[in-house]
Amino acid sequence: MLSSVPVDRKIIHCDCDCFYAAVEMRDQPSYHHRPIAIGGPANSRGVIATCNYPAREFGVHSAMSSAQALRACPQLLILPSRMALYKSVSAQIMAIFRRYSDCIEPLSLDEAFVDVTESILCGGSATRIAQRIRAEVAAEVGITISAGVAPNKFIAKVASDWRKPNGLFVVKPEEVDAFSAQLAVKKIPGIGPVNAAKLAAENIHICADLRVFTALELEHKFGRLGQSLALRRFGLDERPVQTCRIRKSVSVENTYDQDLVTLEDCAQALQPLYEQLMLRWQQLSAQYAVAGVVVKLKFADFTQLTREYATNDIELDLFQPLLKQAFSSGNRQQQKRGVRLLGLGLKLQAPITQQQLRLF
Amino acid sequence: MKFTISREAFLKPLVLVAGVVERRQTLPVLANILVVVEGDQLTLTGTDLEVELVGRVSLDQAGEDGSVTIPARKLMDICKSLPDHAMIEVAQTDEHVLVRSARSRFKLSTLPAADFPNVEDSPESFEFEVPQMALKQLVDQTGFAMAQQDVRYYLNGMLFEIKDAQLRTVATDGHRLATSCMPVGLPDQAAQQLIVPRKGVLELARLMTEEDGTVRLVIGASHIRAFTNEFIFTSKLVDGKFPDYERVLPRNGDKIVLVDRLAMRGVLSRAAILSNEKYRGVRMTVSDTNLQVVANNPEQEEAEESLMVDYQGAQIEIGFNVGYVLDVLNVLHSDQVKMTLSDSNSSALLADGGNGAAQYVIMPMRL
Repeated sequence: MLSSVPVDRKIIHCDCDCFYAAVEMRDQPSYHHRPIAIGGPANSRGVIATCNYPAREFGVHSAMSSAQALRACPQLLILPSRMALYKSVSAQIMAIFRRYSDCIEPLSLDEAFVDVTESILCGGSATRIAQRIRAEVAAEVGITISAGVAPNKFIAKVASDWRKPNGLFVVKPEEVDAFSAQLAVKKIPGIGPVNAAKLAAENIHICADLRVFTALELEHKFGRLGQSLALRRFGLDERPVQTCRIRKSVSVENTYDQDLVTLEDCAQALQPLYEQLMLRWQQLSAQYAVAGVVVKLKFADFTQLTREYATNDIELDLFQPLLKQAFSSGNRQQQKRGVRLLGLGLKLQAPITQQQLRLF
Repeated sequence: MKFTISREAFLKPLVLVAGVVERRQTLPVLANILVVVEGDQLTLTGTDLEVELVGRVSLDQAGEDGSVTIPARKLMDICKSLPDHAMIEVAQTDEHVLVRSARSRFKLSTLPAADFPNVEDSPESFEFEVPQMALKQLVDQTGFAMAQQDVRYYLNGMLFEIKDAQLRTVATDGHRLATSCMPVGLPDQAAQQLIVPRKGVLELARLMTEEDGTVRLVIGASHIRAFTNEFIFTSKLVDGKFPDYERVLPRNGDKIVLVDRLAMRGVLSRAAILSNEKYRGVRMTVSDTNLQVVANNPEQEEAEESLMVDYQGAQIEIGFNVGYVLDVLNVLHSDQVKMTLSDSNSSALLADGGNGAAQYVIMPMRL
């Protein structure tokens, strides 16, 4: 019988440490030893995007409202975001990755998978490539970047977080089994607080606890997530590093200075958002087709609701009923909740070779 | 309550009234029909709260007065499956009704007549009478273009417009539109538009069965009511703004193609077999006296057909959802169909070759 011996892949997950804050600290060294954050101002209901480690000691974290962050850490300095600068720094970092591989999958401005399986640099050692990348980013860009080296994306991503900040952690192919056995289940993508609690209730805390089930049992318990758990519990992940990202959706959203209290307020806010969405869509319409429309509402209490509808058409009239549905589900009976954020999105699919034109 | 009736006399109203009853209801009583006997008058009522149908039959012999509600589908299935010309006796006994015929006996549960809901009334504004067959034709010619379960709820229905002594119906799903009209004796009526929900339209058309009968339509602020000899039909109206059909009717088509309807239908139904199953696009090329139809699917299979047509002019290539064109060819009755085109990105206007009132607009596909 013929069998091909699979070659172990070498994947590096690179992740800058508090990226926006690191860029600001680089440009203003006095920020190094005081808590800073990048985000919207507290008086206009801004949200924290990133904060440095001194700020984290006070319990400040990203996605927290700026007002809340200031309560936790009154001396916190909240800086406005300089997105154009961050983008140019990101391009500089991605260029460093490209010295070592062409197979790069950026996950965001400050984070990427680099597949160096084929690389002959540094004697083919992924660990040494990761060290070089970290040294070059520090020397040329002036910020620190953590890296994880492993035979797949899942373990590489976990590993980059292992010695954060400014750390490197390597999981060799022969160590994957033992490393993943002791890994907390909440480190697996898809296991959020709800699923983690569900597992904890069954006394499942680490991946080894998941290994007693059959793949079928996992699928019964967790549905589609179960299929990925069946692999991740052994530290396995066969997903390739994808160099060109296929978009699944495009969306725009806005947080309002004052809550939108009535459905009419929301309906009025819909038009300008729709126009923004159309601008975004125009840039994508050559490569994608619409598979559905989505409306997202975030209420004053930060709970959020989305409503979607499968359609190949785009028009404002398709969003209005979804807005109404979402708004009324959020404002049932006694419960009156204002809307702080309104978002519109399109679900995308591969371009349709045949496109039905619309009458109106 | 008690009455005796022949299977045939009972079935006709029973089937139509039970047709209004939804398979899934929000209230248990909505699965039932209301049965009322007053002397020799038997009245059956079914409703889903949006649409209500009342059927009336004269009994040969007066029954015992009374009213009760009976599970619609079971009663209908029982009566349907009894032998032809069977006599059926329905009698209420406390909480149940007994349905008897020859040596068969069925005991059905009931719910009190008092629980049966009425479709809410609204003030009536005007009424007119039209031949049943004319109304049926109007609905049949346009109903296929109504949307189904679209979030734009106003498209899941049919526009009735009364204007300039004409009754016009319009249906559209956003990709194609169908409209037709007929004269009505309402010369001085101010223009009026109402949207009848999809189910109301379909049920109304089913009632139009009398060859020479007429139907009286009464329009209220939030409902439409139709009276025939045997039935009173009520439907709520859809509150919404229907798209402006006049804006959608193309006016600048300069390429007029006359085709044989049945020949074209044959060509398109064959080509459809190899069209993309999801989008159903076919490419039509019209040149002097010739219409070529080509269909491809993702498996790279191909259908190609040609057809003689009456056309002189520049060549035009245009793609359509083949289903939309076939729908039109199926509801027209004339030998010839007139297609008016302008270019491959603009809508096509289809109508019969004579002077029929029905017009169809189809947006092309980009292939």
